[in-house]
Amino acid sequence: MHVDNLPVGPLAAPPSGDREPTGAQPVVTARQVTRTYGRTRALTGVDLEVRAGEVLGLVGHNGAGKSTLMRVLAGLEACDEGVVTVRGQEVPRDVRPGAAEFRAVRMAYQETSLCPDLTVAENIWISSRRCLPRLRWRRAASAAVQRRLDEMFPGHGVVPRDRVEALTLARRQMVEIARASLVDRLDLLILDEPTESLGPDAARSLYDHVRTLTARGTAVLLISHRIREVLSVADRVAVMRDGAVVADKPAAGLSEDDVLVLMGAEVAAPADPGPAPAAVPAGDRPVIAELRAASGHGLHDVSVRVGAGEVVGLAGLAGQGQQEVLERLWRPVRKDTTVLGSRAYVPGDRQRSGVLPLWSVAENLIVTAMRGLARYGVRRRAEEAAAVRSWVDRLAIRGGADAGMTELSGGNQQKVIVARAFASTADLVLLDDPFRGVDVHTKTDLYSLIREEAANGRSVVWHSSENAEMAHCDRVYVLRAGRVVAELAGEEISEERIIAVSFAESTEAPQ
Amino acid sequence: MTLRTLARPWIWGFVASALVWATILALSSQGGGQTVSLALSLAPYLVIVGLGQMLVITAGPGNIDVSVAPVISLAGFVAVAATAATGSVAVGVLAGIGTGLAVAAISVLAILGLSIPPIIATLAAGLIASSLTLSLADGFTAVPDEGLRQLLNLRPAGVPVLAVAVAVLTALVVALLSRTTYGRSLLAVGQSRPAAERAGIPVARVLAATYLASGALAGLAGALLAAYIAPSPDLGTRYLLDSVAVVVIGGTLISGGRAVPVGIWGSALFFILLDGLVNLVGWSTAAQNLLKGGLVLFVLFLAGGGTRRDATTSRPRRRPRPATAATAATTTGDNTHG
Repeated sequence: MHVDNLPVGPLAAPPSGDREPTGAQPVVTARQVTRTYGRTRALTGVDLEVRAGEVLGLVGHNGAGKSTLMRVLAGLEACDEGVVTVRGQEVPRDVRPGAAEFRAVRMAYQETSLCPDLTVAENIWISSRRCLPRLRWRRAASAAVQRRLDEMFPGHGVVPRDRVEALTLARRQMVEIARASLVDRLDLLILDEPTESLGPDAARSLYDHVRTLTARGTAVLLISHRIREVLSVADRVAVMRDGAVVADKPAAGLSEDDVLVLMGAEVAAPADPGPAPAAVPAGDRPVIAELRAASGHGLHDVSVRVGAGEVVGLAGLAGQGQQEVLERLWRPVRKDTTVLGSRAYVPGDRQRSGVLPLWSVAENLIVTAMRGLARYGVRRRAEEAAAVRSWVDRLAIRGGADAGMTELSGGNQQKVIVARAFASTADLVLLDDPFRGVDVHTKTDLYSLIREEAANGRSVVWHSSENAEMAHCDRVYVLRAGRVVAELAGEEISEERIIAVSFAESTEAPQ
Repeated sequence: MTLRTLARPWIWGFVASALVWATILALSSQGGGQTVSLALSLAPYLVIVGLGQMLVITAGPGNIDVSVAPVISLAGFVAVAATAATGSVAVGVLAGIGTGLAVAAISVLAILGLSIPPIIATLAAGLIASSLTLSLADGFTAVPDEGLRQLLNLRPAGVPVLAVAVAVLTALVVALLSRTTYGRSLLAVGQSRPAAERAGIPVARVLAATYLASGALAGLAGALLAAYIAPSPDLGTRYLLDSVAVVVIGGTLISGGRAVPVGIWGSALFFILLDGLVNLVGWSTAAQNLLKGGLVLFVLFLAGGGTRRDATTSRPRRRPRPATAATAATTTGDNTHG
């Protein structure tokens, strides 16, 4: 269920040249806003103004700072420097979620904010209790959400008594958007990827409703990576890159390619054959793992082939099915997946699914290889110790083999977890975006490790949300909405190219 | 170094039993050696059950085997009946172990196959076992084997044979945990199940083996207890609370991932001696249980308080360390969706 084929033209009311946005009063304004997390500068001085009665589209690549900016504009997070004003009033620096100033600013999240164990009506109460009566709130909340859903998504099929857990993803998204809009006074509605799990009809009726909202003077901030959709709905488009708004232009007159260029993509010239369909894998490598037209669980007709000794990248925007591909390869239980040989996995979320916190570096490192080394289930400690020594030296793990795992810095912990996978005898190593938040020096070490191991005949499947990393791959599959939209090989792999195909809806490869 | 020794969690059980032993000496005319010898002949049963419970608790949060008490009672009847029917003690003991394995198999099916929380699954399996016990106990006439009873009562130089055997068993469990892939896998699963899964550990198989081991050990304890005392429907009743308590007091982490088999000995001796002391003073069973429950809470409180002060041997999951905080923040920054 995706809005891939939305008509560019008359979605709802056409992007208005008739309205005069500059005359409207600004609802929320950000001036020179910066935000830093540790060493990462998420926002580097953002200027943005959202005006009453307009739809402002916000686009940008992974890590451009969109989410942080939204959180600042919604009052969920304070900025380090700069000024945020709501309706002309400056907001104090120490703002906290739920601050009175931001009560008329509401946000619908991409990963919905609903409590799965509660009913739809109870969720509405949680978010809108200020506007509901104290007694018989359940009935009032049910009536309100029912009415709003009927307005927004006719034929939605949601009953306020339903538990959120039992709803489909699309219905959950509908409830999330309705939840965000249910408030006595709505100045700004922020929609974060609202159509990601909605069907085309639902998306169309949502944008119809957005039009009626703006006609009443509410501002809508639309974040989406479906650029054609943004261009057809928004009055104005702001483009973010590296933590700043690099362009702020009326949507009328902008083309998809213009926006992609502003975001930093290299747009294929029309003469270019477009995303290369099925580039030939280098040489005549034997295939060690294969997905044949895999569908279901977030994937649509995905075919992936991994040759022996090959480094295969999975690129694209976050959460477009890359993890699902890794999961299929990690547990090849379905008929459409074949994996010859053993596997090892490097998780991206090292705190949750990587670190074994009570153990030392050595114990963490060897736990996977231990099985291969053991005889009849009894460990062979001398061999283990030798393997640990060589890996600690090879990756220069600071602290040494006997240090407690949790005493290490994040980068060194990640080295241990990568070493854990490569120390085993696995033929296929799966990397799930493991280098997020790892310092450059460590990354460089690990990149060369991956290349060395591939040269020794190991296969690697590597998902990364940092497109620059994909340059270390032999072949890259770019995924979007659970489909492979491009397969790049060798020289074709570049950051610009990946951004272009991750976003480009018009150049989508035929399935 | 001294501090390090004091931080060893298993020491406290032994220290506490020494204190109780000294108190008993002071209060009664009974010889000190005799008291120890008596405690050593009662403690092994609790240690056997405790070792199984320890393996289960080590498998991580939520893992507990509450079926040990009914398993002990049922295995007692089955073992005595099997010995009486075949005339072989070995067959009887094996039948007891088999009973434990069978009940544990039900738990494993429920936990892994139906995703039922372990406490509920083992409770249900335990209920099945106790209903079987009741039907077996009705009109039960067989008597325990006299030879086995004499063997269990054998105390050359005041040291019960069974205590030596169970000490060997404990050493085997220590070796199991540190030297075999199963043991290491169990400790890994207990620390973080998702991490263990991603590290390629067959989590389901490890869990199944662990519950089966606990069932087998409870069955063994039941078979021996029935010979030592006599089969009865509430033979195992006190072993549920006690087995969990000796594991926790022995220094095994209640949240999993760290097992201390030796500590079970200290805390089992402590419990047995404490029973003796409380009887000596003339307290009721209710007061005894109150005391034990309070002790478990106190030890858990100490364990939690101790980790906050101690930086290196603590449980790091709870502590927000600079490294974690920094990575979390960076991830948030990078993780913005396009």
